[in-house]
Amino acid sequence: MTSANGSRPLDGVRVADFSWFGVGPISARTLADFGADVIRVESEARVDGLRHGEPIKPGKSGYNVCAYFNNFNADKRSFLLNMGVEGARDVAYRLIERSDIFISNLTPRIFERWGLTYEDLCNVKPDIIAAYQPMLGLWGPHRDFAGFGAVLTPITGISHLSGDPERKPVGVGTNYPDYVVNPGHSVVAILAALRHRRRTGQGQRIELAQIESVSATIGPALLDYTANGESQVRKGNQSSWMCPHGIYRCADDPSGRERWVAIAVGEDAQWESLCAIAEGASFATDDRFATLLGRRRHEDVLNGLISAWTVSVDAASLAIHLQSAGVAASLVHDGEDMCEHDEHLAGRGFYEYLDHPETDISLYDGPIVKLHETPGYLASPAPLFGEHTFEVATEVLGYSGDEVAELTASGVLS
Amino acid sequence: MTQTALDGVRVLDLTSEMGWYCGKLLADLGADVIKVEPPGGDPSRGRAPFWQGTPGRETSLRFWYFNANKRSVTVDLGQFDGRWLFGRLAETADIVIESWTVAERRELAERGLDPDSYMESRPELVWVSITGFGLDGPKAGWEVTDLIAQAAAGIATLAGYPDGSPMRIAGNQAYIVAGISAAQGALLALLQAEATGNGQRVETSIQETMSICQETAHLQWDFLQTSRERVGERYRLPGIGTYQTRDGYIYSMVGIPGFGAPWSDVIGWMDEHGMAEDLTEPHYVETFDTFDLRILLVEEERDKHAEVLDRAQEVLTAFYASKTSTELYEEGQSRRLLIGQVMTPKDLAENRHLAAREWWLELNQPTTLGQDDAALKFPGPPYRLSETPATIRRPAPRIGEHNQDVWVDEVGIPAEDLIAFAGEGAV
Repeated sequence: MTSANGSRPLDGVRVADFSWFGVGPISARTLADFGADVIRVESEARVDGLRHGEPIKPGKSGYNVCAYFNNFNADKRSFLLNMGVEGARDVAYRLIERSDIFISNLTPRIFERWGLTYEDLCNVKPDIIAAYQPMLGLWGPHRDFAGFGAVLTPITGISHLSGDPERKPVGVGTNYPDYVVNPGHSVVAILAALRHRRRTGQGQRIELAQIESVSATIGPALLDYTANGESQVRKGNQSSWMCPHGIYRCADDPSGRERWVAIAVGEDAQWESLCAIAEGASFATDDRFATLLGRRRHEDVLNGLISAWTVSVDAASLAIHLQSAGVAASLVHDGEDMCEHDEHLAGRGFYEYLDHPETDISLYDGPIVKLHETPGYLASPAPLFGEHTFEVATEVLGYSGDEVAELTASGVLS
Repeated sequence: MTQTALDGVRVLDLTSEMGWYCGKLLADLGADVIKVEPPGGDPSRGRAPFWQGTPGRETSLRFWYFNANKRSVTVDLGQFDGRWLFGRLAETADIVIESWTVAERRELAERGLDPDSYMESRPELVWVSITGFGLDGPKAGWEVTDLIAQAAAGIATLAGYPDGSPMRIAGNQAYIVAGISAAQGALLALLQAEATGNGQRVETSIQETMSICQETAHLQWDFLQTSRERVGERYRLPGIGTYQTRDGYIYSMVGIPGFGAPWSDVIGWMDEHGMAEDLTEPHYVETFDTFDLRILLVEEERDKHAEVLDRAQEVLTAFYASKTSTELYEEGQSRRLLIGQVMTPKDLAENRHLAAREWWLELNQPTTLGQDDAALKFPGPPYRLSETPATIRRPAPRIGEHNQDVWVDEVGIPAEDLIAFAGEGAV
C-alpha cells in the first residue's frame, strides 16, 4: 500500500464549500480525503453551529475547539467571506470561477438571496458541478420546511420503523442521516457528474433533497405499502429470517457499566453451535426451538431465556466465543470501546490522530472507504476559523495584498 | 435517449444482500450491472417482503428494489468451467463488486479465483470488496449481519430508551451505508483508472463506515473520557421531543433560540385555536421571552422554572393531541417551527410534497405469480442530476435471464458450448 502522501484520485479538483452543519461539510470532507482542495467558506455573521457545539476540548473555548466541527472539516481551508456585505458576491463568483464543484446545504431562500443559484453559477463557470442539498429539495409545496437530522429521521419513515413497538417512536439517538446517507449519496452523485464532465465537458446541477435520499434507503418497506397495502411498523431488533436476533444484557463490568451482546442466528446449524456454548441453559435442550419456525413462534419466550443466561456472562468473551463457532455476534460497543478497546479497529488504523493547534492530538474518523493504491488520507487537521482567508484570497483568487486589505476594511473578508 | 453518467461502464455484481445497494447506485446512474449468480440464484433472493405476501425467489419486493436495472447471468464458480467463463466475462468488466466471507474468499482463491490474478491480466480493473470488518485484522473472519454491524460500530448503543435495550436502526442501514461507501470507492477508483490506466482494489469495512454515524460518541470519549449514552428523549423540555397527535406522532423541536420561530409564536398558534389556556398571561409570556435552551439544560435551572415548564408541557401536549400529524407538520413548518411528522410508509406514499415532485416511478415487474406483471409504484432515486439523471430502465432480472445475451452475444461463447456448460451445471 502507498504511504499517506501519495497521489489521490481528486488531486487538482477544487471545491467551493458554501455549506454548514452536517451534510454539506461531510460531503466535502470525503472529497478532501481523496485529494480535492476544499475551500470552506465561513462567515462571521453566521458561524457554523457545530463550531460552538459539543464536545469541546476541556479548558478551552472559542470557535476552534469543538470536535464535532473539527472531525468533519479536516483537510480543508477556512475562508471568511461575509455574504451579507456588499461586494462579497464578486469574491464568491471569483472563487466559483476557479472551482470545479460547488456544495451547499443552505436553504433555497438563502442561496437565492446570495446569488448562488445554479443559473448564477453557470454565468461565471459554465461547467460547474453544483450540488444542492436542501432538506425538502429546491421546489415543491414543502420546499422551505426546515430542520436537522432529528427532524429528517421522522419525516423519512426511519423513526416510525425503528425501536420498541410498545413505546413511542423517539428516533435513533442521533442525527443519523447526516453522517453517511446524505453526504455519501451526494458524493456518489458528484463523482458520477465529474466523470460525465471529464468525458463531455458538461457540468450539471445535482439536487439532493434529503427527504428523498433517506426515503430511498427504506425502499422495501415503501414497496410493501405501495404494492401490498402493508404499512409496516417497528419491530425492535426482530428480523423476519433470523431468530434469535437481538441484543441481550450481559454481566455489568466491574465499574458497573452496562454490557450488552448482539446475536444473530440464521441457520439451524448456528443455533446448534449457540446451544453447545450455552450448555446447561434451559433453551439449549428445548425442542420448541430446534427450527427457525419454532424459534420464531416462541420468540418472546426464547429471548427471555437467552437474557436469563447472558446476564451473568461477560459480553466481550461471549461474542468472541460465538464468532469462533460461526455465530454472528458482537459486543455492543460504546465510545470507549471504539476508541480504547477494539483491537481490530485500532490494528487497522481506522482512526487518525492529528495535531491541532488548539485541541492538541485529537481523534478524527478515517476515510470512509479504503483504496489500496491511491488511498485517501487527512493531510491536516480542521482549519482554525478564518485561518486561510489571506492565503486563499491571494493564492487562489489572485487578489493583491492591497486588495485584500481593502476587502477586509469593507467587511467583505475577515 | 437520456445520457447517463456511467455510460459504457460494465460492473459485475457478485454480492449478497449486504452489497446489493452498491450495484443499484451504479446501475441507476447508467452502468451495465450484471449480477453473477450461482445456478439456482442469489440465496438472498428469497427475503421478505413479498409481492402479494407470497414467498418465492421471483416475488421478493426487497430483491426487486435493490436489483432493478441489473441483468442476471448464472455461473457456478465452484466448477473449473464456471471460473473459466467468469474469467472471460471479467475481461469485459471495469468494476467487480463482491461481498464474500473470508471463508468463501479463501476457497475461491485456492481454486484460482483470486482478484489479483484477474487484475494482472486486466490492469485497469477496479475490484471492490464489501466486508463486515475489512480484509485484514483479528475480526476479518467474523460473521456479520446488519444487527451485528450496528452493534460493532457503536451505533446501537445510542438508539433506544435508557431503561431498554440498545436498538438497531431500521432498514438494514448497515448494508445501505456499506453500499454507499463501496459506490464512492468504486467511482473514485474508476476515475483514477480512466485517468491513468491503473485499476486497484477497494475495500469497505461496514464497521468502519457505520461508525462514522456515531455522531460524537467517539469524539466525546477522546476529549472527555466519558461515554455517550442513549437518552430516548433528550431534553424533557416543552416543545422538544416526540408527541402524540390525533392520528400518530410528530417530532417537535420548537423554542430553541436561533432555530426557527420563538416560543411566543407557539403560544400564538395555540391561541388562534383557542387552546393556549393561561399561557397568554403575562407571567408566562415574560418567562418564555427569556427562554434559553442552554440554561434550561442545567437541572437546577429547570427546577427553578418547573411550574412554568410543566404548565407549558401540559398545554402543548393537549394542543398537539387535538390535531393530525399532517396539520401540525404543515402548519407548524409554515410558521417556521421545526416540526417533523413521524411518517409511516403509508404517509410517505401519500405525502403531497413527494407526489408534486413526481418522486415515485412506475415499473412493471414480471413475476412468477400469474400472467400479469406487477405494476409497481417504485421509490425514486436519492438524487437528481440535471444532465445525467438516475433512472430505472428495466425491472429486476429473473435468475439467469440474460445468460444467452451475455454469454453468447456479448462474451462470444458459441451457443452449443453454452448448452454443454449448462449440461454440466456450470451455468
